[in-house]
Amino acid sequence: MQGPAGPDITDATLSDPDEDFRLVALAQTGDTSAYDALVTRHRGRIFAMIRNMIHQEADAWDLSQEVFIKAWRALPKFEAKARFSTWLYRIAHNVVYDWTRKRKIESAGEFNDEIFERERIDSASFTTPSGGDSPDMTMAHGELRVKIQTALGKLSAEHREVVLLKDVQGLTYKEIAEAMSSTLGTVMSRLYYARQKLQALLKDEYESR
Amino acid sequence: MNTNPDEATLALWLDDELAGDALAAMEAWAASQPAQLAAREETRRWRATLAAALPAAQEPPFPDFFNSRVLQAIRDEMPHPVAVPRRRLSWSSWLLPAAACAGMAFAFMAGKNTRPDPAVATIFVEAPQALAATPKPAIYTPEQGVKAEWFSSADASATFIVLEGVSAFPDSMDFSETAYLPTKHPLNSTAGGPTEIAFSLR
Repeated sequence: MQGPAGPDITDATLSDPDEDFRLVALAQTGDTSAYDALVTRHRGRIFAMIRNMIHQEADAWDLSQEVFIKAWRALPKFEAKARFSTWLYRIAHNVVYDWTRKRKIESAGEFNDEIFERERIDSASFTTPSGGDSPDMTMAHGELRVKIQTALGKLSAEHREVVLLKDVQGLTYKEIAEAMSSTLGTVMSRLYYARQKLQALLKDEYESR
Repeated sequence: MNTNPDEATLALWLDDELAGDALAAMEAWAASQPAQLAAREETRRWRATLAAALPAAQEPPFPDFFNSRVLQAIRDEMPHPVAVPRRRLSWSSWLLPAAACAGMAFAFMAGKNTRPDPAVATIFVEAPQALAATPKPAIYTPEQGVKAEWFSSADASATFIVLEGVSAFPDSMDFSETAYLPTKHPLNSTAGGPTEIAFSLR
């Protein structure tokens, strides 16, 4: 689904914020093909982020859609003070926390181990990781991935999110603070403790590398 | 840098977020701090481990369908949100209501004092009824060779999707998990309630 606004999407253009701003400006005039191109550019990162947060693929698919629909509604308010991707992460943060809150309310009074429960991770749930790894490396990464996901599941939602945004998505501290509506100091503190806990949980695995 | 840096600057340096003079000052300080240099290497190794194990981007299943659903949802909400510059109120804007009232009063008085001319035929034209625009749903068929056609009848209150070239469905298949209907409600799950779509296979 490539509109005239985004015929060629390469890795280089995907990370180009100027291209995002150009497409956003078009989308703000009602150009749905430009918005379609924006969805194509960012759906992979938003879906991966949400999937790593809630570990339920079908719900992650729906929530990712909700992110883009809410972003469309809020697009007139987007002022390009931050990167479009950071703005999307902020919407994703709100969507995931609203969903979690709703799930907790719905399951009030009964034991529910589905929310943020990483012990149930299907080891074959992810597709092949990006990159040109050899089969051995792919298998090793697959095993490590499951262990990391299991360990991430033992963190609080705030600690898990800050690790994912920093160490997986590669956001800066400032961008994470914007995405999580938090202060720089809080983000630094959360990341420090989250990494400490995660490394302790992965001690054996991590030290063998 | 003779004194120790503050914690925030140290955290930024450990995560390679400093640049320019700030980075140069920290590097000069860290040259005599082997423990901090080792900590930075450890942080880099940690980030590389996580980045290799967890992909930063993962295409959602059926990415084209993903886009089409998003676009369908935003088209359902048209008119699209367009940034409209706020109009400034001026003295002329206050005159508009008064001018409208005066115009209405003048038209009323003129109408009262005017007799209908029998020589002029009067034609009453009924305003055309607004046609209910039925939005055509986005239909995505992931299997090659499968063609889908959509029919809707307002009179029969029925909607049909005819699939050509698809193999027989098992009786246990729940179509509501794969069908999307435009809705005013927020998207909560693909596994919604029963839909009003009927399917026909050829």
